[in-house]
Amino acid sequence: MSEGSILIVDDEYGVRSGIRTILEMDGYEVGEAGDGAAALEALKERDYDVALLDYRLPDTDGLSLLQTMKQRGCEAMVCMITAYANIDTAIAATRQGVDFFLPKPFSPDDLEGVVATLLRHKLARTEADRLRAEHEASLLALAEEKTQTHSLVSSLRDAVLVVNRDGDVVLANPPMLDLLERGDDEVLMRPATELLGGGALAPLGEQLAAPAKDRTVRQLELGEQAYMASIVTFRDEAGEARGRILTLSDISEVRRLAMEKQKFIRTMVHELKSPLGSIKGLLEVVTDKSLGGDLDPYIPMIARADHRIDNLALLIRDLLTLARSEQTQEGEEPELVPVAPVLDGVVELAREHGAQRGVTVTTELAGDLPPALIRPDDLQLVLSNLVGNAVKYNRDGGSVTVRGAIEDGWLRLEVADTGIGIREANLTRLWDEFYRETRDETRELEGNGLGLSIVKRLVERAGGRLEVASIEGEGSTFSVLLPA
Amino acid sequence: MMTTATTVLFVDDDRDFLESKKVYLEARGYRVLTAESPDAAMATLEDETPAIIFLDLMMEHVDDGFRLGYRIGKDERLGHIPLVMLSGVAAETGTRFDGEAGGLREWSRLTRFLDKPVTGQQVLAVIEELAVA
Repeated sequence: MSEGSILIVDDEYGVRSGIRTILEMDGYEVGEAGDGAAALEALKERDYDVALLDYRLPDTDGLSLLQTMKQRGCEAMVCMITAYANIDTAIAATRQGVDFFLPKPFSPDDLEGVVATLLRHKLARTEADRLRAEHEASLLALAEEKTQTHSLVSSLRDAVLVVNRDGDVVLANPPMLDLLERGDDEVLMRPATELLGGGALAPLGEQLAAPAKDRTVRQLELGEQAYMASIVTFRDEAGEARGRILTLSDISEVRRLAMEKQKFIRTMVHELKSPLGSIKGLLEVVTDKSLGGDLDPYIPMIARADHRIDNLALLIRDLLTLARSEQTQEGEEPELVPVAPVLDGVVELAREHGAQRGVTVTTELAGDLPPALIRPDDLQLVLSNLVGNAVKYNRDGGSVTVRGAIEDGWLRLEVADTGIGIREANLTRLWDEFYRETRDETRELEGNGLGLSIVKRLVERAGGRLEVASIEGEGSTFSVLLPA
Repeated sequence: MMTTATTVLFVDDDRDFLESKKVYLEARGYRVLTAESPDAAMATLEDETPAIIFLDLMMEHVDDGFRLGYRIGKDERLGHIPLVMLSGVAAETGTRFDGEAGGLREWSRLTRFLDKPVTGQQVLAVIEELAVA
């Protein structure tokens, strides 16, 4: 059985049915039309692979019909059938897009041969069209990919330089151009060694020209900035080196954080080891019996050692709080916390501490004070640190006032004291871990320098900020501003 | 025969440390002076010429010990006194600190480093070895 659909357009019923019979026996699908208008109607219904057109039709002629068909997007192979065949008509017909010319009368074999040939051509044409479409699509995709790669590389924060196998620059993204202080047209197709030569980047130029490995990574300094430079060779499917990509990532911030961490750990070790050394020294005196065999003279020293151990425990607790304040754990979401109850607890404790030195603690909360959006434990820690400091660094008979009010959409909690104040030069260091202002007034007061660091982190974690105003010898005011 | 007690100066901002070393060494016949800050140390040194000085490296500033060492070292009357630096961070900072220490040691004329915590026993051994008559 053969496959294919054929439309017969002929005004003679006998011719149409004859052809139909032959073709249907071969297994083709067949449609027929008696004139041009009917043919166009039939083509609206469905597509045909082959159209057999009579040259003479009642309403038009075969060639005109063919033009109309083509204009309407008909892609059928066309065979012109005519009894008035002559060479001129044949040439004209072929020029106008007729694929075959079948003179009447013709035998069934002629017809079958023509139809089979046209169907083969049709198939070949369809396949060619498909291939061309595919090729065009892939070219389009390639162009698109190239553009995408280019925009991707351009949008990278890292500086990227791509060289071909000869070491000439084929792509430099904007950060790289900034680094090289050159324009796009100044770098393209120029040797990378020349562009990178001379300064701190020279070793990279050499490596780009002749890399020891397919992938090298090194650190380098450029002015104030530190960079991680990586050079990667890219190869084609055959393993041939096609070029190399240089990427420079700015690691200054990472390095600064690492150094800060290093400093923090160094200070922390000092803060942990110092009390241990003192405790060890105090106990050594006891075991050495430096003060004789009687126990009494040692009691104050043992009490000191005991106290130092308590302080160490507090230090470790604060270090843990500090570490915890750096990350947000699940189930620790901020809540709307009424300020007054938390403050009452904090103030009660502060009053007990202040009472021995005659320091009074008062609160002035606005009547319509909204709740604070913060983790309840954090609010307690912030307030107890600030109020605790205000009592600790106060003068005998001084006062502490805690105020709460709404200001410009912020909930402002203010802790004001009449204490020793802070030197202006030291105000910025106040929030640093382990920092304590060393003055005659503070020498006798204990502390590990972590309280305000904790306060700062907790307030910032809640989306708030801190303000401090202080006059040495007169007092300080710490303000916490939380989103209301 | 009259013998003058050997005088030792400790400079450290940790009062308990000073106290324990004082008691430990006084029990062994030493005269012990203490200072809680570099300034207090310089004040003490105006009237005193100890046989050895122990300095804490990290006091108010991380390098107070070095600075004080330099001040003492360049002083004509005090320059000969052995200086022993006490530090809790020498080990932790490792090579970097030691690498710098060569120059710094010369600059501040340090005789020796001791890693904290330092026992009375260690201090005693260093005094017996280094203290000038």
